[in-house]
Amino acid sequence: MKSIILSFFVGLLGLVTTAQTYEIKGTVSDSGGNPLPGVSIVVKNTTKGASSDFDGNFVVSNVLEGETLLFTYIGFTPKEIIINNSNNIDVVLIEDTQGLDEVVVIGYGTQKKSVVTGAISSVKAEDLEGLPVERIEQALQGRVSGVVIAADAGQPGSSSTVRVRGITTLGNNNPLWVIDGVVIDAGGIGYLNQSDIASIEVLKDAASLAIYGARAAAGVILVTTKKGKQGKISVNYNGFVGISSASKKLSLLNGAEYGAVLNEASVADGGPILFSDVSALGVGTNWQDVIFNDSAMRTSHEVSVSGGNEVSTFFASFGLSDQEGIVMSEVSQFNKKNIRLNSTHKLSDVFKIGQTLGYAHKRSMGIGTNSEYGGPLSSAINLDPLTPVVVTDPVVANNAPYSTQNVFRDANGNPYGISNWVGQEMTNPLGDIQRSIGNYGWSDDLVGNAYIEVTPIEGLVFKSSVSGKLSYWGDEGFTPEYYLQATSVNSQNRLSRSRSKGFGWNLENTVIYNKTVKLHDFSLLLGQGVYVDDISSGIDMTYFDLPVNNRNEASFNFPVTDDQKIGGTWTGTEHTVTSLFSRLSYNYDEKYLFTGIVRRDGSSRFGANNKFGIFPSFSAGWNVTNEDFWPENDIVNKLKVRGGYGVTGNDAIGNFGYLALVGGGRNYTFGSDGGIIYTGYSPNAPDNPDLKWEETSQTNIGFEARLFNNLNMTFDYFTKETTGILQPVEIPGYSGASGFPLGNVADMKNTGLELELGYNNQFGEFNFSANGNVSYLKNEVTFLGNGKEFISGGAGFQSMGEVTRIQVGESINSFYGYRTNGVFQNMNEVNSYVNASGTPIQPDAVPGDFKWVDNDGDGSITEDDRMFLGTPIPKFTFGLTLNLSYKAFDFMMFTQGVAGNKIFQGLRRLDVANANYQTSILNRWTGEGTTNSHPRLTNIDANGNYGKFSDFYLEKGDFIRFKTVQFGFTLPSDIMSKIGAQKLRIYVTGENLFTLTNYTGFDPEIGGNVMGIDKGFYPQARSFMFGLNLQF
Amino acid sequence: MNIKKYKFPLLAIAVLVTVLSCSEDYLEVEPKGTFLTENYYSNQDEAFAGLVAAYDFLRKNSGGFENMVTMMNAGSDDFYAGGGNSTDGIGIQNFSNYALNAIEMPASFWTDHYRGVYRSNLMILKLPDVPMDDALKTRYMAESKALRAYYHYNLVKMFKNIPLFTEPLNPSEMYNVVQATPEESYALIESDLIEAIPVLPSTLSSSEYGRLTKGAAQAILGKVYLEQGKNSLAATQFAEVNGTPGQTNQYGNALLENFNDLWDIDNKFNSESILEISHTNESFAGWGNAYNDDAEGNMISTMVGPRGFVDLDENDNVPAYSSGWSFNPLLPELYELMKDDPRFEATILDCKALEEQGKISYVKGYLDTGYFLNKYAPTVAEEHSGAGDMWLNHRQNSYAIRLADTYLLEAEALGGSGARAQELLDAVRDRVGLPSIPVSMDAILAERRIELAGEGHRWFDLRRNGLLATNLSNRGFISGTHEVFPIPYKELENTKIVQNPNY
Repeated sequence: MKSIILSFFVGLLGLVTTAQTYEIKGTVSDSGGNPLPGVSIVVKNTTKGASSDFDGNFVVSNVLEGETLLFTYIGFTPKEIIINNSNNIDVVLIEDTQGLDEVVVIGYGTQKKSVVTGAISSVKAEDLEGLPVERIEQALQGRVSGVVIAADAGQPGSSSTVRVRGITTLGNNNPLWVIDGVVIDAGGIGYLNQSDIASIEVLKDAASLAIYGARAAAGVILVTTKKGKQGKISVNYNGFVGISSASKKLSLLNGAEYGAVLNEASVADGGPILFSDVSALGVGTNWQDVIFNDSAMRTSHEVSVSGGNEVSTFFASFGLSDQEGIVMSEVSQFNKKNIRLNSTHKLSDVFKIGQTLGYAHKRSMGIGTNSEYGGPLSSAINLDPLTPVVVTDPVVANNAPYSTQNVFRDANGNPYGISNWVGQEMTNPLGDIQRSIGNYGWSDDLVGNAYIEVTPIEGLVFKSSVSGKLSYWGDEGFTPEYYLQATSVNSQNRLSRSRSKGFGWNLENTVIYNKTVKLHDFSLLLGQGVYVDDISSGIDMTYFDLPVNNRNEASFNFPVTDDQKIGGTWTGTEHTVTSLFSRLSYNYDEKYLFTGIVRRDGSSRFGANNKFGIFPSFSAGWNVTNEDFWPENDIVNKLKVRGGYGVTGNDAIGNFGYLALVGGGRNYTFGSDGGIIYTGYSPNAPDNPDLKWEETSQTNIGFEARLFNNLNMTFDYFTKETTGILQPVEIPGYSGASGFPLGNVADMKNTGLELELGYNNQFGEFNFSANGNVSYLKNEVTFLGNGKEFISGGAGFQSMGEVTRIQVGESINSFYGYRTNGVFQNMNEVNSYVNASGTPIQPDAVPGDFKWVDNDGDGSITEDDRMFLGTPIPKFTFGLTLNLSYKAFDFMMFTQGVAGNKIFQGLRRLDVANANYQTSILNRWTGEGTTNSHPRLTNIDANGNYGKFSDFYLEKGDFIRFKTVQFGFTLPSDIMSKIGAQKLRIYVTGENLFTLTNYTGFDPEIGGNVMGIDKGFYPQARSFMFGLNLQF
Repeated sequence: MNIKKYKFPLLAIAVLVTVLSCSEDYLEVEPKGTFLTENYYSNQDEAFAGLVAAYDFLRKNSGGFENMVTMMNAGSDDFYAGGGNSTDGIGIQNFSNYALNAIEMPASFWTDHYRGVYRSNLMILKLPDVPMDDALKTRYMAESKALRAYYHYNLVKMFKNIPLFTEPLNPSEMYNVVQATPEESYALIESDLIEAIPVLPSTLSSSEYGRLTKGAAQAILGKVYLEQGKNSLAATQFAEVNGTPGQTNQYGNALLENFNDLWDIDNKFNSESILEISHTNESFAGWGNAYNDDAEGNMISTMVGPRGFVDLDENDNVPAYSSGWSFNPLLPELYELMKDDPRFEATILDCKALEEQGKISYVKGYLDTGYFLNKYAPTVAEEHSGAGDMWLNHRQNSYAIRLADTYLLEAEALGGSGARAQELLDAVRDRVGLPSIPVSMDAILAERRIELAGEGHRWFDLRRNGLLATNLSNRGFISGTHEVFPIPYKELENTKIVQNPNY
């Protein structure tokens, strides 16, 4: 329709003008003769254009003689054709899949992939198209070798733990995120919208990381958002709607089984039978059915507009997304609205300016995740099945505590059941959420940058860029008076609100000079930067004892007396970094490559004696296949070997570690009842003016190859050593200091192998590509301080104490506990388990107890018999993406997984005798020969069968997850052009469809500072979505 | 655009922008809301704040999960550790069944007292240079010395072979510190107290309650002497504190007429109190700062409360107890000894009987005996309802030393014989309406067991009288080892500290 009108006007014009105009027709196809639909054809320096239809045919009208037609298509080399006198052109476009001209973002610039000497992995926009990822970390998961990503929870809006090439330090391991040149810390990247991303590059080796100096030791992730490109304005809509459900539930005991098990445990400890008729208990309540919502909704809509001419390009987008969590959706939800506007403007041949601006508003409600101390998940796992969800029996409802206390009731006025068996923090989830329903957190994030580029002479570019990020966040909450159970009572309602603000800015100036002299190609970068962040502050206020006891009526406008108001304010401490940096890249004929970097960083966190650090790196490469002596062959088309070494730093250490400060809060009360609390001050710890950054030096060797014309391969071996890891220097307690001084004390080492493979081919109309990666990682703690063999690990479980340990010679936070060696079947076995002098090693054991390995051989079982039982860090991580397309149909499958790690499953409360069990307890030892792997039931548990941390609590964490499967169908373009649209694709996506694993808990992918600790992990949801992508 | 025209101005701008942002002043960030050690203690307010910090660790008696009272109760023949299960608080469990080792020894009993020592030493060091009123300065100095002595005393009582500090430790000497002999430790403690006593006030204004008095320091000195067997010196000190048995002493202290009133939470700093540990529910402690220096709640209350207590009949006279963690279950032996004593009701909460009568229900904790320590058991009426967590904000104070305690100690120091000893014993018994019995060391010990049950004194009484092995071997007590605690293992890493024998 459009083209008819256009031709008409052109025709009219043609009557008036005298210049020769043409209507150009033709077909675009690839080297295999297949027609290419959707090829963009633009008349250069004008806004005229068209695109090819489903059969590759196109028509461009009103083309003047001498004008140039530019054909562009994703994955193909652009082609230009100058119009002379032909009306019919058939154009052939050549594929450029990961070819020579692909450009990689390397930090302060880009470089042709063929001459890059560092280890950099990229993910491009087309890899992310149509994926239902809410957060950018999920976009990277399994697509980049050497990066381990694990969700911190399956709750909507949850972040993920990202680790680049292992665990670099004992402190903060989050990589540095640089979004369009703005440095953002890991906590602030949630504002990004996945469809705004043009590419993500992960800098992995020191040769490429050193350009970010003192903040790069744990890796750098560069994100570039779309800027729009020259061509007609295109409008793109992508939306989907879907349903999420729990992909796995635990198998817990039902009422009758619970009664029988509790009876047995009681009798085993010399107590009475608790339930005389176990079968009368029936099935009871299935608490998991109460907490899981198997039809949680999620929707997402995004619209983006982009276009440009030879002067300006722009990209704008607007998105909305809503997601309900699968656990207690009423209080677990997330929604986000985001806007972006990017543009670049060429003011002249010399001046170019540009900007990016992204804004996101988020609102979330969440439940606590992964904790044994309460929350709906822990409650559902531990609560007894005997308690009804809602009490409908009037005899029960008219008695204490239901009739005497302020209990929560459902819509019909029936009270939610309160357990007589299980107390502490485990409460009826439906009642529990009534405490916090309606409470929410919100945030507003605004991130932007603006730059000006001046190119006074060819090859010389001055760029000055200023960036800023402004965040506001807060929460609103109301807690009513309530009685949940005897140990969970609130007798004073409260209304609270908090608001915080954070601001940071960067200023960077760079000069890049490129020069080619014959076959020598130089590129020199000089730069300077200032980075300030954490200019932050916050306020919170709580009013107690409002005259109303429900959220709807609660308000800060009630005249509450002053002593019922509690509030606080805080001011954050700025963190500043100033830098000078330079990089020289050289190549000779694209055969011999060399890059050298030096960066000097100073940070406000370093002590007076070590304010500045120098971070150098050098790397070299050899494009073997570019050599004259390399024969043209069809097996090895491209081969580049490269290697490098460099040093980076980590300044993510606390503030003022180097100062001796006096701290307050050392309070004591004087005066009779109603006495006053006086604030006491005393020094914290001795100072350390030598405090400096942690230093990581890394060596990387690898090669990139293209084989058989369609198989790409990248392989890397690296070893990285971190020295001077900041640790509190544990001075003896008799020094009396309230805290330890920090010192650069510990060392750690990571080594690994990474392999990426990509295959791409066409078989007639059938397109197929596969991209996979696999990484191997080994971590070792090498030094912790003089005479210090270990540090207690970062994870524990209740009274079990530490579950992991950081020890010299072992992988960080490896599991450390007792090893079992079967179950004693009879007293004879107990008595014959003796030490060298013939005395029983476990004299107090009875049949059914675990036999512990006497690791230190001292004849008795003590804490020294613990040993290392495995690591929570996967040894192998891998991912595979398959893309198939046939005519209008496309199919994508993405799988990822890990292997070689263990998971600690601590779901059942040790201190609650009547807590429910998983059905694995049905395999317990009940008599000689019944089992050798599960001990007898007991609450007193003198042998520590359940109370000691042992391999009984560890399971293998290996898994393969079919993360995303997508089927799409693109409507034929002739139908499309009738409504003026370019493309309409409908698709269905399945997410987290299926996980192959032996792990018995909810989800084997568990992130966190110490990974692999499951204390009631909020599992990721399985979702089915139906979506639509419409392009104009 | 003609670039050449603008070359120089552009260059100038570029240089300016670069220079402006290049300043290294950006790296100087000053800490706000806190002080540098070298500048602090510059006026009287700061000196007082430093003194408060030194007082802070008096809370070790009853504050924090690892507190003296519940710990020492657990190892005595009157209580078990209790709690949720055999690993609930591994330190207190292992003390209760005499399986303590250096790794499981709760280090805070060592480190918290040394923090107290350090903060007191800092005051003693800095006070002379503070521009402030001289009289106050002298008093602060005396308080600091007395606090230092008290902390060293607790340390030597528990660990016997401890390093002594008379000034803040110089970091260069960090790993060269050696332990003193008990004699040296006691000598320093005695001299600190003797110097402080003349200066400390005899009485306090009500806003100062909780601070050290002359009487408190004398009572501590008496205990210090008695611990070493210096009985006549001990008796002299106690006599200063006790005055005429049954009457008001020179400082205004007297036994309360009603034993039950001692345990009335509102009856703080009453006349029988000599050294009382202050707690309040206004620190609003939450789980985020649970046992920190700014959490001022009494943890004994939470720890000794029964679990899941439900008062089935609101109208009977059984008070509604608040739920706790069921630590320190009372042993049947003590129950038998006390069941006919007038002090029974105030001391023991008999859940066993109440449950049998159908008046209450409760969840039985580990090693439950049905008997709980009523002196500190929390009630619903007293539950804290403001910010923070109810369990961390009990406001009952605890007695480190009260008059009945010093009466009986003086009687002990007098060898358990003589008229005065008899009068002292009689006065304590008379207060609760018990008749006189002939005084003897055994009678005094038995009276202390009942009068001071659950207040953390029993274990030290047994040790002082050489009865630990007799009464506790059935719990696993081994002579030659368990008379002192093991020194926490971290204190031995790279230091010159030597572990106590057999640990």
